[in-house]
Amino acid sequence: MKVSKSAKAFKLLVAGAFALSATIVPISGAIANTPNLGAKCTDEGMNTGTTSRSLICVKNDRGELRWARVKLSSSGKSPVSASRSPAGSIEFHHWRGEDKTVFDAIIAKFEAANPGVKVTQVIKDSTSYQATALTTIRSNPKAAVFTTFRGGQFNDFFKANMVTDITNQRFVTNNVIQSALAPATVAGKVYGIPYHSLFNNPLYNADMFAKKGWKVPKNWTQLLAFCKTAKADGIIPFAWPAATRGNAGQILNSFLMNSAPDLATIEQRVIDIESGKADLNSAWFKDMANKYKQMNDAGCFPNNVTGYNDSVAPVDFATGKAAIYPTGSFGISSVTKANPDMKGKIKMFGMITTDDKPLYEGITNNTFILSVNPKSTSRDQQIARAFISYLAQASVAREYAVGTSQHTSIVNVDYSANVDLLNVSDIMGKKLLLAPRFLFLNVAQVRDPMEDALIAIGGGADVNKTLTDTSAKIKQNLGK
Amino acid sequence: MIRRGESKVLLLMALPAFSIYAVLYLYPALSNLLWATRRWDGNPESEPETVGFRNFTYMFSNDDVFIQSLGNNFRFMLLVVIFQTGFSLLFATYLTKNTRTTIFLRTLYFFPTILSSVSVGLIWLALYDPNYGFINASFKALGFESLALNWLGDSRYALYALAVTQVWFHTGQMMVIYVAGLQQIPQELYEAAQVDGASRWQQFKHVTWPMVLPTTAVVVAYTTIQTFRAFDLVYTMTNGGPLNSTEIIVTLIYRNAFFGYQYGYAAAQTVVLVVVVLSITWLQRRTLRLDYGVK
Repeated sequence: MKVSKSAKAFKLLVAGAFALSATIVPISGAIANTPNLGAKCTDEGMNTGTTSRSLICVKNDRGELRWARVKLSSSGKSPVSASRSPAGSIEFHHWRGEDKTVFDAIIAKFEAANPGVKVTQVIKDSTSYQATALTTIRSNPKAAVFTTFRGGQFNDFFKANMVTDITNQRFVTNNVIQSALAPATVAGKVYGIPYHSLFNNPLYNADMFAKKGWKVPKNWTQLLAFCKTAKADGIIPFAWPAATRGNAGQILNSFLMNSAPDLATIEQRVIDIESGKADLNSAWFKDMANKYKQMNDAGCFPNNVTGYNDSVAPVDFATGKAAIYPTGSFGISSVTKANPDMKGKIKMFGMITTDDKPLYEGITNNTFILSVNPKSTSRDQQIARAFISYLAQASVAREYAVGTSQHTSIVNVDYSANVDLLNVSDIMGKKLLLAPRFLFLNVAQVRDPMEDALIAIGGGADVNKTLTDTSAKIKQNLGK
Repeated sequence: MIRRGESKVLLLMALPAFSIYAVLYLYPALSNLLWATRRWDGNPESEPETVGFRNFTYMFSNDDVFIQSLGNNFRFMLLVVIFQTGFSLLFATYLTKNTRTTIFLRTLYFFPTILSSVSVGLIWLALYDPNYGFINASFKALGFESLALNWLGDSRYALYALAVTQVWFHTGQMMVIYVAGLQQIPQELYEAAQVDGASRWQQFKHVTWPMVLPTTAVVVAYTTIQTFRAFDLVYTMTNGGPLNSTEIIVTLIYRNAFFGYQYGYAAAQTVVLVVVVLSITWLQRRTLRLDYGVK
């Protein structure tokens, strides 16, 4: 087919406009606010990749399927190359044991590109890391690069003056999705790069849904109805790992995102609970807790759910005993490890816990915050910055992402080599909220007991009694 | 007899060991007393606040989780001390003689002790799984459906389930201590009892038990301390849940110090822990010494 010069020029113009618009749309922006590329598409969620040039098929305001840009946008500037590192040795402290091999390969290339440099990984499991990282890193200047969890842990490091200002580093301004920097930004200054772009939404077995003719639930009524249908079919609707607090708490994000008319209200409610101004008997919280109970009553969860842990849940999901694994994109690797046949069959959906128009359609999170240790020598800090700038290269981030099934916050990363990363990219077309669970900064005294209460309620415990008892505990904790 | 010059040399020889002990144990233990009277979030930039005995008064008057943990610890201790001591003595009485079978069985029973506590926790986590675990599967296969419980996920049973694991883990270790104690009992005593027509139970009651009391004192004291230190098992299997039903003092201290950043409060709880363990051990020794007839 012949294409005229003017048509070609028009296409180029449109493509250029699309590319420009894609660069300024943050990941959390609403699809309703994004430019509609006009062309019709037929399969919602279908996408061409997840770079800033990729397209995704989504519904517009009128409910029509149209191509739009994926929401992993760029920084708005041209990415810069990795900076050179002086010779020397540093430690890289983190909690992702499962990433060790991939990081080993990346570090080997970094060392080859910078002769005389040695980077050693120091890895602890996530729980130990949360407990001891601040003390360990503070007393170890060689720990020049380290990671923190978004929220409580980053906050603790910041309060202890244990993060270095990297606002003006060019790899920060140019190579990172700017909206993803928010969790490491305080008063306009950037203290780290949240390397991971997570999507803390339920994974579902797309193959099973298609074979059974099930529709992905799009509101609260549909969700409860789905639970009854799946349970009647002998399938566990939600493989909710209630006995493992960390992952059991992921669905709290979904409950929180539509628990108020706007984000400011959600944030204020969290502040009120953390300060002791309000307790868990507040109407909004009780309403949320009642929904956990409703899910239990509708048979959404497996039997004996409070004893159902996160070593069993992904296996049930991977072996077709469960339809949904409600954790997040980070759960894909454990599912495909349990059953490699699941590769390419996993998709993700936003769990909507209201019948009204939802405020948000899904959750994202930016964590694994890479920071530089201010206690390190200036030379080691220089090596640390060079190492982070190396990790912030699209090609390196791609190697990391594909090897670990993990989206990153680096611009223009091509995820197409990993079918699971592509499949869960549907969620990028939705209006996403930065995981509100991590707005709770007081983990030990407030968030943990609060999540324990919701887990107990999800397991069938009395709502009023559990919330009253837990409110008393939190009040006592805050008074210590 | 040690001469004057020699005693100085001996003291000098003890110095390296004492220095290590003083730096690594004595100093932290004594400074912990000081920290127990402070409030501090662990941040070197912030100044610790001296609060006197407030940490202690708050703990006993306003901290339900602490009281619950103390209660859990006592129940856990009671169960484990009774069953671990009982089973280890029972096994030891049957396995005192050195035959091939008894040596094999002793090795078998001792085997769990050499496993790491985290491995033991993970093994029992799988056994207790309410839907796929061996324990519930066995109950169901035998027709005892009602006994197939949510062992670790239900606050009514979780502590008992942990106690069973702890007993399984350490009974073999205590059995070995008992075997050593039983082998010290002179055979003549049993022969004399047999001549007097004593039954096996009477031999146990009037010969074995009195003679093995000093060993029992060691076993009970050691088991008690073990139950207060069962951090890794609790941490691996329940992490103190559900709803703090398996929280014991050491896991609570860890949580307060390293997750809650309440170092002063956690230090005060360690002081209480030491006092509690010392008191219980003293009481146990006193009771057993009285039983033994020592005033």
